[in-house]
Amino acid sequence: MRVSAGEKALNYVVLTLFSLFALFPVITIVVTALGPQLGVAESGPHWGNIVDAWNQGSFGPALLRSLLVALLVVPVALVLSILAGYAFGTMRFRGSTFLFYVFLFGMMVPAEAIIIPLFYDMRALGLTDTIWAIALPQIAQSIAFGTFWMRAQFRAMPPNLVEAAAIDGTSGLTTLWRIMVPPAIPSIATVTVLMFMWTWNEFLIPLVMSPGATWRTAPLGLSVFKGQYTADGALIAAAGLIVAAPIVAVFLLMQRYFISGMLEGAAKE
Amino acid sequence: MRRRRLVIPALAATTILALAACAPGSDPDEPAGSETGGGSEPAEVNTDIAGLGDITLTVWDQEVRSSQDPALQALNEAFMEKYPNVTIERVSQSNDDLQSQIALALSGNDVPDVIQVNNARADMGAYVTAGQLVNLEPYAEAYGWADRYSESVLSYSRYSEDGKTFGEGNLYGLPQTGEVVGIFYNKAKLEELGLEVPQTWDDYFAALDAAKAAGEQPMVLGNIDQWPAFHVFGPLQANYVPVDEIAALGLGNEGASWTSDGNVQALEQFGTWGTEGYFGSSPNGTDYDLAWADFAKGTGVFLPAGNWLAGDLESLMGEDVGFMAPPPGTDGTLATTGATGIPFGIPAASENVDAAAAYIDFITTDEAMAMIAENGGMPVNNTADNAPEAGLQKDVFEAFDAVSTEGTLLPYLDWATPSFADTAGQGFQELLGGQKSAADVAQAFEDDYQAFIGG
Amino acid sequence: MVRNRTTPYLYLLPAFLVYGLFLLYPVARTAQFSLFDWPGFGPSTFVGFENYADLLEDGRFITAIGNALYLILFYSVLPLLVGLVLAATLRRGQVRGMGIYRVLIFLPQVIALVVVAVAWRQIYTPNGTLNQLLGLVGIETDTGWLGVPELALSAVGIIGFWLETGLVMLLLLAGMNRIPNDLYEATRLDGAGPISEFFAVTLPSVRGEIVTSMVLTIIAALKTFDLVYMTTSGGPGTATTVPSYEVYNRAFQLKEVGSASAVAIVLTVLVFVINIFVTRIGEERKVTR
Repeated sequence: MRVSAGEKALNYVVLTLFSLFALFPVITIVVTALGPQLGVAESGPHWGNIVDAWNQGSFGPALLRSLLVALLVVPVALVLSILAGYAFGTMRFRGSTFLFYVFLFGMMVPAEAIIIPLFYDMRALGLTDTIWAIALPQIAQSIAFGTFWMRAQFRAMPPNLVEAAAIDGTSGLTTLWRIMVPPAIPSIATVTVLMFMWTWNEFLIPLVMSPGATWRTAPLGLSVFKGQYTADGALIAAAGLIVAAPIVAVFLLMQRYFISGMLEGAAKE
Repeated sequence: MRRRRLVIPALAATTILALAACAPGSDPDEPAGSETGGGSEPAEVNTDIAGLGDITLTVWDQEVRSSQDPALQALNEAFMEKYPNVTIERVSQSNDDLQSQIALALSGNDVPDVIQVNNARADMGAYVTAGQLVNLEPYAEAYGWADRYSESVLSYSRYSEDGKTFGEGNLYGLPQTGEVVGIFYNKAKLEELGLEVPQTWDDYFAALDAAKAAGEQPMVLGNIDQWPAFHVFGPLQANYVPVDEIAALGLGNEGASWTSDGNVQALEQFGTWGTEGYFGSSPNGTDYDLAWADFAKGTGVFLPAGNWLAGDLESLMGEDVGFMAPPPGTDGTLATTGATGIPFGIPAASENVDAAAAYIDFITTDEAMAMIAENGGMPVNNTADNAPEAGLQKDVFEAFDAVSTEGTLLPYLDWATPSFADTAGQGFQELLGGQKSAADVAQAFEDDYQAFIGG
Repeated sequence: MVRNRTTPYLYLLPAFLVYGLFLLYPVARTAQFSLFDWPGFGPSTFVGFENYADLLEDGRFITAIGNALYLILFYSVLPLLVGLVLAATLRRGQVRGMGIYRVLIFLPQVIALVVVAVAWRQIYTPNGTLNQLLGLVGIETDTGWLGVPELALSAVGIIGFWLETGLVMLLLLAGMNRIPNDLYEATRLDGAGPISEFFAVTLPSVRGEIVTSMVLTIIAALKTFDLVYMTTSGGPGTATTVPSYEVYNRAFQLKEVGSASAVAIVLTVLVFVINIFVTRIGEERKVTR
């Protein structure tokens, strides 16, 4: 493929300008995070903010808890979504449209809307202040999106793939894992990143479901820098960097899968 | 297809009937709370904590900032040392998060033993009505809290049994710290402008005009979060409206009106400050924390705000900043928004009420007050005694002492009704931005107030 | 195909169990709560559809719905337009450092909204970075962007645009990467320029992704909560209030769980209807293609 030099230059200009726009608030966060804390007059950079934020927000255990929650939510939701998406995407059955809309419906429900009944039900089950009270509702939310997503992916695949497998007499599950999942790896990577990110950044569910703070996750650590009337912007931003870092890392790691998946797909056609 | 159409409405009808039968909040495992409210009264007060056996005392507080946290931390340790049979399990978080959790947590069986619950009707008032807080009167008597606290301070944690009247009745909480809203001023700027620290409201208005004429921004306000405006309007209101009327409005009790001439004049004055640029170009678009940081860097002459900024402002501005209680109000007495930090109360379902009361007693003793002062907080009792020798904190402590002993601490206006924080937050922003007239805003406030006391 | 009739349902069952118990059931309970006058604790009173009837005359609620619909422009429409341009550029342009651009543009999605809010408040404040930038190009202003009723909602919308564009771009790019290179080469041999190529090859191939990204971003627009809560609290006045914020505010601040539940149900239905509409259009097109 050839692209003219002029077009190429224009492409770089467009992409660079937009990247700067995307980066601009991120830079603001970093500058704020390294700026002086309330009542500190000397000019920065104040690397100590990160250390202070880490200690005051007790981010060590909080990050560990966040990780455990994400490690429970993401794989479970992913597997269940792939199974459900496979059914919706490749099979015809009675009530499939209706059931699909039932799943779709879950994406539309704001967490604020269900948090109060969830709290009472979880407490009745004796699950508040356990990982389950925090993970299960998020698994449910992620399933709604994951099913929607995987259905779209499986539908977009050539139908002869499934038919060929059926003719070979391969069983359904084997077809799914051997034939359907491998080409869908890039989109599975995408949904993994999204689920991980949403779980990691979730604020309201861990706040309400863990009243005794035994399962306080990382984003809740940010509130330690907010008093009743004053908040320390520098420490909040520094804490934000701590909270954001693992996700950025996951995203960068998954980046490789996008690229390899893309090359694979291009070679196959 | 036709059959299905018939089935759905029928199903819907039965569902609704079923839903109505099983009302929320009626689960058998939730203690319902007495229908009449009033909270539980301990059968017998026990102040012998050492004899209670091993206890885990769960405390939920919002003392998270560095000027608050160390004092409570130290007090907790001292309490556990005094009573080795008690282990304190502390959960601290921001006030917003804490208040969001309390409503849900209080309705269960497994509740914390001590909580910091906001005085407002939307919070403490609602829990008193639902019978979810322990009436502390018997403990107040046993521990002699009436001698320790001034009645005006205690009154802001008092509700009638049914939660209808705020400001008198039973005691449901005890605060550790005091709060006073006043006016910070930039000494260097006043000197530059040839102005004295204003002694009367007329002086203050004149000083603002002089500052404006000289090209300075007269006052600093960052009102993007809506609540800061309350702390500017509160003191101003006392220049136009008698204090007992403000108290009735602020506590949501009967007998006052937002549409009185005084209130409309006060709102008008406040709106004029907004539209004529006395707070700079865009108070509604400015962050609270950035606004006072700007004041510290030399923007503006006056900063109407609460004592909680004193520590930070002093370390940034040193000798250049002063603090004054607002000038005496319309009836000649000192009066300003203030009252208390968030009081500590005891959930009715707590299993360790005696130990919880002893804890609350322990963290509000004279020694505790001294510890709070040492760590940079402003204790609610013995404030003048604990004042630093010099500097901004001295001004602040003295102002609080003067208002709380000689004058009147006015309640925060958003305590009045459950929805008043919204109504007034919105109204003040619309006044400052010039979208609504003072009369319209007064009417909106009055509607909210009347709807509450009428219902 | 040889398959048991129950097979599809078995695949759905595990997902449906978790989903039903921890999402559908709570929604049903919320629907139930919406028929009561209840502070969230203690006794409750059955009021039928009164909470819903009250919403019809509730100025704050109506403003909130209008605001949410306006936000769709910033959360969905603009990101779609810009995302298409960016994705097509990345797909076709043989851009070196493509991975870096992709990471940078997607980055906003990844950062916790608490931190995003801190940053944007600093950008929009009267002496903030936006006004400093404007000053550099000769526009002197000390507007507090979030404090002007006419501008505040758009200012929040721009944060939404900033957030969602990366997501939309990535979704579209995933779709465009499925387009075989020969298809592009064939079109180019025919002498098509970048623009006619875009309309002839790229756009038709990513219809599914367009629908997906519209659905996701419309949901994000209508469900916006954290951002409003942490930047403007719905102000100035009611200029930026949105339904989700009303749900939270009513449930947790005003302690009107009944009314909060009614708002939640109306909001959910609204989001559902709009998205059914969008997916229907999208899938019909797919069939006629």
